[in-house]
Order: sequence, then C-alpha cells, then structure tokens
Amino acid sequence: MSPAASLRRVAPVLACIGLLTVWQLASLALKNDSFPTAIEAIRAVPDILGDRESLINILASLRRMALGFGAAVLVSIPLGLLMGRSRAVAAFFNPLLMVIYPVPKAALMPIIMLWLGVGDVTKTLVIFLGVSLPVIYHSFEGAKAVEEKMMWSGAAMGLSPAQRLVRIVLPAALPEILTGCRTGLVLALITMITSEMIARQSGAGNILFNALDMGQYDTVFAMIIIVGAMGICLDAIFERVRARLVRWSEPQFDMPLSFS
Amino acid sequence: MTVVPARSSKWVRPVTSQEPASAIIEIDRVSQVFQTSARKDHVALSDISLTIEEGAFVSILGPSGCGKSTLLYIVGGFVSPTSGSAKIKGHAITGPGPDRGPVFQEFALFPWKTVLGNVMYGPRQQGVSAAEAEAQSRALLEMVGLKGYESFYPKELSGGMKQRVALARTLAYHPEVLLMDEPFGALDAHTRTRLQNDLLNIWERDRKTVLFVTHSVDEAVFLSDKVVMMSKSPGRIREVIDIDLPRPRRRSELLLDPRYQKYIVDIERMFDESDEAGPAS
Repeated sequence: MSPAASLRRVAPVLACIGLLTVWQLASLALKNDSFPTAIEAIRAVPDILGDRESLINILASLRRMALGFGAAVLVSIPLGLLMGRSRAVAAFFNPLLMVIYPVPKAALMPIIMLWLGVGDVTKTLVIFLGVSLPVIYHSFEGAKAVEEKMMWSGAAMGLSPAQRLVRIVLPAALPEILTGCRTGLVLALITMITSEMIARQSGAGNILFNALDMGQYDTVFAMIIIVGAMGICLDAIFERVRARLVRWSEPQFDMPLSFS
Repeated sequence: MTVVPARSSKWVRPVTSQEPASAIIEIDRVSQVFQTSARKDHVALSDISLTIEEGAFVSILGPSGCGKSTLLYIVGGFVSPTSGSAKIKGHAITGPGPDRGPVFQEFALFPWKTVLGNVMYGPRQQGVSAAEAEAQSRALLEMVGLKGYESFYPKELSGGMKQRVALARTLAYHPEVLLMDEPFGALDAHTRTRLQNDLLNIWERDRKTVLFVTHSVDEAVFLSDKVVMMSKSPGRIREVIDIDLPRPRRRSELLLDPRYQKYIVDIERMFDESDEAGPAS
C-alpha cells in the first residue's frame, strides 16, 4: 500500500483520537461536573452495554428504526419514481411534500401522540416521516434524469410503460435512490433519538435523557458515543451494500463517513 | 430509385432491377410543429412525403436543425407528428415496436447490464429462452467484433465499442427496419470510418432496411442506395438522390472512383447553393 493510501486508511482513526484528545483536555481545563472527561465517558460504555435492561432498550430502538426506515423506503421509492416520470403525479404530490419538508418531524410528534399514543407506532411513524422525504426527493431526481433514448430503446423492445418503470427507470435511478437512502438512514437515527426524547418509555434516547435527569453525566456522554458508533456502523454496512448494488455505475468519490 | 441487384437472403425477397421493390415505410405529408416559449411555432418538418423500399439503405442528410432526427423518431413511433401519417407495411405507426430498431448517437445502453446482458435484453423480452438468447447474442457480439467483452459493463468500453454493443443489441431482436440516428456522430474520425465499414459489411450480408440520419455527405454517399437531402426552417425534402455505386463497396476503391467523388461534389454544391450553411462533411 502506498503511503498516501495508508494515510487515507488511518485518517478516520486519527480523527477520532484527535477528537477524544481535545475533549479530554477541554474537560480537564473546564473542571465542570456536567462535562466528564473522555476517559470517564468511555469507561461508562461497557456498563451500559453490559446491562440487560439497557440492551433491551437499545434493541427496541433499533427495531423501530429498521421498521420505520424499511416502510419509508418501500413507499418512497415507487412514489418518487412515479413523480419523476409523470408530470401529473409530480404536480399533485409536490405541494404536499413542500409543506411537510421544512417541518421538523419531531414537532409533529405531540400531535401524533394524541392520536396514536406514546407507543411504538407513534415513534415508528415519526421515523418513517423523517426518512421518506430524502428518499422521495432522490428517487424523483433519479427518475427524472433517466435518458429518454434509454426509455425509447426499451419501448422498441416491447416494454410496456409499467415494465419500463420497473426494469429501466428503477435500475437506472438506483445510484441516486441509494444516495437518498443513505441520507435517510442518518435521519432515521436522528428521529429515533428525538422521538424517544419526547415520548420517554424505552429506547436508547430514554437511557440518555434519564441519565441526564439524574445527573449521571458519564452515562449521558457514553450514550452519545454509542449512538455515534451505531451511526458509523450502519452507514458502513449500508455503504457496502450500496457499492455492491451499483458497481456498474460510474466510480464516485466516496466518503468514509456519511456527510451527505 | 435504382434497385441494386439484390442477393437472396432471409430478410429480403429477391428482386430484380426491372421489378420495383415493395414499400416498407410510407411517410405521407408529415408535419411537425413545436411550440416554443415565445408563442411562436417552430416548424420542424413541413409536408414530408417519402417512401422507403424494403431492403434499401436510405440516408437522411441535412444540416443540424432540419428535423431529420425528428423524422426518424416519427417512424420509430417515439414522437407523434402534428399532422400527416407514417406507415410500416401498410399499418399506421402509433408507437414504438420491435419491428423498428433504433440505434442512437448517445448509445443509450443499459449501464447496469453487462455487454451480454444488453444484447440479450431484446430477445428475452420477446420470450426467447435464456440459453437461445445467449447463444444468439454471443454470435452477434462476435460479428460486431466484441468477442471477449461479454462480461464488461458499458462504462468500461470506449465510444466505438459502446456503439457496436448498441448495434448488436438492436440486431438481436430482428427488427425489420434499422433506425440509425447519427450513430457515429459522437465518435472520432478513425473509429467512425471503421464502424462505417463494419456496418456496411453486416448490412450487405442480410440487407435489412436502414434509415440512417447523418449530417456527413461522404458518410451518406458511402453507405446508401438513396440519399434524402433536407433543408431547414422549415424542414423539407430538397432532393432525393439515387446513389448508383456497385456493392459490395470498399472504401479504398470508392475513394478513387470518379462517380463517388461526383456524388459528393454535387451534393455539397447543392447545399452551398441554398441560403443556409451547408452541412459539415
């Protein structure tokens, strides 16, 4: 491996070490009770992961996130593709989506809670809403950009409009769709935590905010580390799947972490 | 038109020079008007009538903006004319179909499919079994000179190779008419010459009807039985010229042939006479 390539490999690790060092020094300098040192926070991580109750909470969070993300992707991709290929469909849904887009999905939560209670359904729905918009948007853009001549080539082979949507528009737009899904995955994690902050019952967010209430700041920061690590892992897994699905696509500059 | 003595083949019934070949495509008083933003209509095609005989290689030659591609898209069924009609074998063209196979300047390959996957796509869609489609596609790829590239993705190929794949992909579903829309326009001069030679070799084997859009005079003369010259604003047919040159044609022989040179000079002169700039050759 060339020196440049090995540097690229270790760069994320160096960045993490750098961040933790700054944290450690800042914490030592400030001497504030509510700002534990990096070492204290890291020490608290095994305590959380070793606790059965905490693990059940975290897994419950992940389950809601997977459900919300999965449902959002299943609904948003077809909708986005249809909008990208049909002016009428786009004209109908665009205003609706434009209204929902800038609203923080967590802000809808109190209302949804009134209707559906504080349970899993509400939280999953909020995650669903958070994930949907970027996936719809990217599917829409991807479908719109499909080369007309490619569609014509398919039509000449005898593909019906529905077949063209599934067998030409979907694969052709896949790189763009997956970019939307990657953004959606990060948003799923964010809305997952915020939903648990508002409706506290269970979940990773619940551990975090309970610890905050009780002044267990090392646990608070340990949870932040855990959520961050979850984000990195999920993104890395998704990136592997994505790279495999679109290896036919033009090579792109890929970020080691999600900044999209 | 002058009918070139045809070899018998599975595509074309044998015709003699005395017997007129049967019309496969009839374009009847087709006009195409596009609405532009300035509330002014742009007449892309004005009152075009043209008959194309089965097994003929016909080029549509004209400057950019004369509507020659639009005419091809109308025959393909990708665009509906504002007025007039187009027919294939006596049936009105209402949409695209596998009897008319397009080859575009932009290649329009399916990038998520391998070279083999692209070529197999049409036959598979027509219900040919996977094994048979694969065998046919491999043979076609060998014919267009791409043996060994079956598992490549389009992004890994050069422009010339992409266009060879696109040609094989279209030939694979046996269209009766090939619709070629400036197919070599995006290629460098050397590659373009090679593809013209190869196209002619392939065509001289099975004599499929070809409608070939180009702005290159020598390309049109080299390949065609008949050259349809168009002028622009509005797009009209100026002149239809029969190219009476022997086949099989060899570039090295034709370049020395005074008849070939005369066709090119005559056509270029006719374009120069008109007000608009002549086509690049």
